[in-house]
Amino acid sequence: MPIEITMPRLSDTMEEGTLLHWHKQVGDVVSSGDVLADIETDKATMELQSFDDGIFSEILVQEGEKVEVGKVIALLSEEVESSDSQASPPNSSSPSQQEEHTGMTISPVARRLADEYGVDIRTIQGSGPSGRVIKRDILQVVDTTKETSAAAATTKPAELLQPIVSEPEVVATSQPIVPVGDWRENRSEPLSNMRQVIAKRLVESKQTIPHYQVTMSFDMDPLLDMRKTLNKQLAPSGVKLSVNDFLVRCCALAMSEHPAFNASFGGDCIYYHGPVNVGIAIALPEEKGGGLVVGSIRDADQKSLRAISQESARLGNKARDKGLSVEEMSDTTFTISNLGMFGVEHFTAIINPPNSAILAVGAAVEKPVVRDGELVVGHELSATLSLDHRVIDGAMAARYLKTLKDLIENPAALLV
Amino acid sequence: MDKIETEQNMASTELPHVQLGKAPLPESPILLGWLRQMLLIREFEVRTMQAYQNRLIGGFCHVYIGQEAVAVGSIAAVNPDDPIVLAYRCHGHALARGMDPKYCMAEMFGRIGGCAKGKGGSMHMFDAPHHLYGGHGIVGAQTPLGAGLAFATKYEDEVLHDGKSQHVTLCYLGDGAINQGAFYEAMNLAGLFNLPVIFILENNRYSMGTAIERGTTMASELHTKSAAHGINHAIVDGKDVVSMYQSFKSIADWCREESRPFFVEAQTYRYKGHSMSDPRKYRTREEEAREEGSDCIDRLEKFLCDEHDLTTDGIKQLTRQVKTQVREAVDWAKNSPETPMDELYKDVYVDHWGPFTGTSKPEMLQGEDE
Amino acid sequence: MSERIIEFRDALCEAMSEEMRDDQKVFLLGEEVAQYNGAYKISKGMLDEFGPRRVIDTPISESGFSGMAIGAAMRGLRPIVEFMSWSFSLVAADPILNNAAKMLYMSGGQFGCPIVFRGNDGAGGQLGSTHSWCVESLYANVPGLKMAIPYDAYDAKGMLKTAIRDDNPVFFLESERLLSTTGHVPQEDYTVPFGQAFVRRQGTDCTLISFGRPLHFCFEAAEELAKEGIDCEIIDGRTIRPLDIDTMVKSVKKTNACVVVDQSWSFASIGSEVASQIHRYCFDDLDNFVHRVHSDDVPTPYASNLEQAYLPNTRKICEAVRSATYNT
Repeated sequence: MPIEITMPRLSDTMEEGTLLHWHKQVGDVVSSGDVLADIETDKATMELQSFDDGIFSEILVQEGEKVEVGKVIALLSEEVESSDSQASPPNSSSPSQQEEHTGMTISPVARRLADEYGVDIRTIQGSGPSGRVIKRDILQVVDTTKETSAAAATTKPAELLQPIVSEPEVVATSQPIVPVGDWRENRSEPLSNMRQVIAKRLVESKQTIPHYQVTMSFDMDPLLDMRKTLNKQLAPSGVKLSVNDFLVRCCALAMSEHPAFNASFGGDCIYYHGPVNVGIAIALPEEKGGGLVVGSIRDADQKSLRAISQESARLGNKARDKGLSVEEMSDTTFTISNLGMFGVEHFTAIINPPNSAILAVGAAVEKPVVRDGELVVGHELSATLSLDHRVIDGAMAARYLKTLKDLIENPAALLV
Repeated sequence: MDKIETEQNMASTELPHVQLGKAPLPESPILLGWLRQMLLIREFEVRTMQAYQNRLIGGFCHVYIGQEAVAVGSIAAVNPDDPIVLAYRCHGHALARGMDPKYCMAEMFGRIGGCAKGKGGSMHMFDAPHHLYGGHGIVGAQTPLGAGLAFATKYEDEVLHDGKSQHVTLCYLGDGAINQGAFYEAMNLAGLFNLPVIFILENNRYSMGTAIERGTTMASELHTKSAAHGINHAIVDGKDVVSMYQSFKSIADWCREESRPFFVEAQTYRYKGHSMSDPRKYRTREEEAREEGSDCIDRLEKFLCDEHDLTTDGIKQLTRQVKTQVREAVDWAKNSPETPMDELYKDVYVDHWGPFTGTSKPEMLQGEDE
Repeated sequence: MSERIIEFRDALCEAMSEEMRDDQKVFLLGEEVAQYNGAYKISKGMLDEFGPRRVIDTPISESGFSGMAIGAAMRGLRPIVEFMSWSFSLVAADPILNNAAKMLYMSGGQFGCPIVFRGNDGAGGQLGSTHSWCVESLYANVPGLKMAIPYDAYDAKGMLKTAIRDDNPVFFLESERLLSTTGHVPQEDYTVPFGQAFVRRQGTDCTLISFGRPLHFCFEAAEELAKEGIDCEIIDGRTIRPLDIDTMVKSVKKTNACVVVDQSWSFASIGSEVASQIHRYCFDDLDNFVHRVHSDDVPTPYASNLEQAYLPNTRKICEAVRSATYNT
């Protein structure tokens, strides 16, 4: 077998070489160490020496030709020893990965906090260099939102939003009938912070709490009569009791009697609250972004109608004006949502965790009723409880409504 | 020559002028062993060049052809546990010290079977069981290390074992290293601390392509460079292994006994280029032919044929043996697996931390009782 | 438990002496370490106790004696090499970087290098440019070595003992300006492990990370910033290799702001490395990019006022913290 003479690598960087001159002719006898050829490398002109003895039998690369290292350039006949094997050097360096860089207008931790608190960073003017949104900016928004809305409710479940979906006073009233501009175009608007919280929390409530509803109607005439009387008497002192104020008191008193309605589901326990704090849903004006918050009337069972009324009015005004503080929104144990003033007769509400129940109140409507054997026009109000079945069973709900009915229909007890 | 001429140091009067007799030669089998070693080194280096040209070996590669007598003669003159430290032209010394050629070849191939698991390469041959403290790639860097190895043996013998210093360290350097500051610092410390180290200058006349006269003062008397440090010195014929041994044995024994350093200039010649990419344009082919005419292997063969009954057939037989041995080494190295990836992070630190995964033994050491 | 208060330099001396008593393979060499009792009196009394074979005066020959010590370490001895100043180690760069740090790797695990190089690092005080080197950024680039920088006497002793017992080469960087500081050092044997940073001050607003002497300025800055209502947490990294990035990241996750104070120059430095890793490991916790305080990017000036302005100082640190926390 002929011995292959290959283009040698004669320097550490040599990839190919030029055969300048053959020192041997075909047929010459070659001894190990003999110079076979001159090779021009990238660095110098070098001698190619034979490693073996033999007869120079064939020239495969002519003088002047440039060939890559490892290519056979001549053959040596004889059986002495073969030169072989041209393993290619291992080369497995992977290209380094370039990380992407994007312009930084928000600090990383601010971005993370915004995500956590559901803050829309597009609405924020950053206070860092070149308007970079920084941690402080996010925390300020969170603090402000806590005062004006329930946006910061993530850490305090009691601050959760009341689940009414309706947007009163808005639909169809302020918009012209005739389409103008892009009114009819499909469009998307980013969620406000409050809207994001509402979306998140109510989905959570509806998905995790086994809701069911129980509805009852109440004869409102005795209560409306008493309200009329009382409001006349209280007019000089500027107090005007609303139907809702009565309902707050009724619900609170009924809760003292039915502790399950003043309780929360605690996973492996039911947590019974001491204070009876009744939440009232307050719709916010559209010009301020809409949405709603729940104001907390603390110790409602201990408060007189007058006190409840004053507190309720104060919370409503403040919520619509400059926003409620966290204190004013927290720790409710039951919520009342009233759409009666909009003429709604009946609806259901989504529980405001960690409450176990919410009462959806419609309007007191005139109805033919039989009273003392005679058909007369009376006022009837329908209210629907949404309940957490993990805490309150149907019969319990019925008994609570019965107590509520007794109170509403015999309102003198409310004055005691 | 009956006496090794050593010159009294000129800078100090502390040392007496040393007259060392030549040591007697050992028995024939040992001399034959030297021949075999020299043949082995030469064949190994020829196949190293071939493997380099066949791209089995990468990087820088420096072969020892022509200088075999220096390593073989000097290493034969010391004990197997005397430390040795080398420059980068280190394959020959490693083989002379007893490293199996397959580990040496596999190291150059960058394989797991290499003496350093393919992490050192041609210039960095280490062999702990044979007390070989490495080839070192930076010119002259090994000279302070040599002083340190001698310091260590002296410290071990005197402080740890409370006895007399009884080792001698061989520290090899090329004539290029003679211009490095580290070498003079090493000599100063060796002289100052009475370290038993022999600095062996292998004067092959060229530092890369620079002839010694072009790079060094007192080029014809390099051995005197140690005089300023009070270190005795000698010139030996580095192309005559018999002379190398006889001189070296006496010098090593003296260093061991006196716990003193020595500087030996071994005059030799490298037949091939500095490295594989050296066209040797800085010297004439006539000069090369002249030097090769007094080849160290030829001289030993002649000596053994004349005085120790070696025959041409005996030489052929030895040649065949080493060719076979080297071919087997090359084959073994080729078949040794590539160094596995988990070795990348081994041997950086002794302990494990972060990405570092401690150490592992080279195949050469496995089963060794260290 | 004793309540001994001793000087930093004596803590170093105790560490070396105790280890030398315990292990005969340990010895000390360097310029003026023996008869002179140490250029900075760190090795005071050691020649008397251990004799000239183990406490060895070397000539001014850093490359030579460093290489010599490395050769000795290859045989398993455990030298402690004192550089009068790390500035002088530059002439020994080849042995300490090429040999000490790489020996284990290049020998395929056959020869380790259990050696400690120690000495003064950083500006001493008007020493001029050549004698004021902070070598940490230069040398920490090299794998195979460990690097420790003690800040107080307790750590000086505990970390030096760890260094001497370590089987790897350890670069131990002391500060001339800390040698006379005093601190509590127990009588009992103890060590301070490598790779464990130390939270030296708790705080909520900004994490200050430093090593060695600049920590002093971090404390001053923290006092000043506290008056402005900025509460700094100060982390003493202690070792650069290994770097305890976990402790640093944990702190930054809390404070969301970070300033690295590094006495070397800023380009390709310890500061840039730590900052890079902080960005890597707690990117989403940062309210600002990691700020860095370094020596100015000029050779160390001699003039006292210039030198003070050049070094990391309290003013620079305060400014960096205010900027990092958007309190400018």
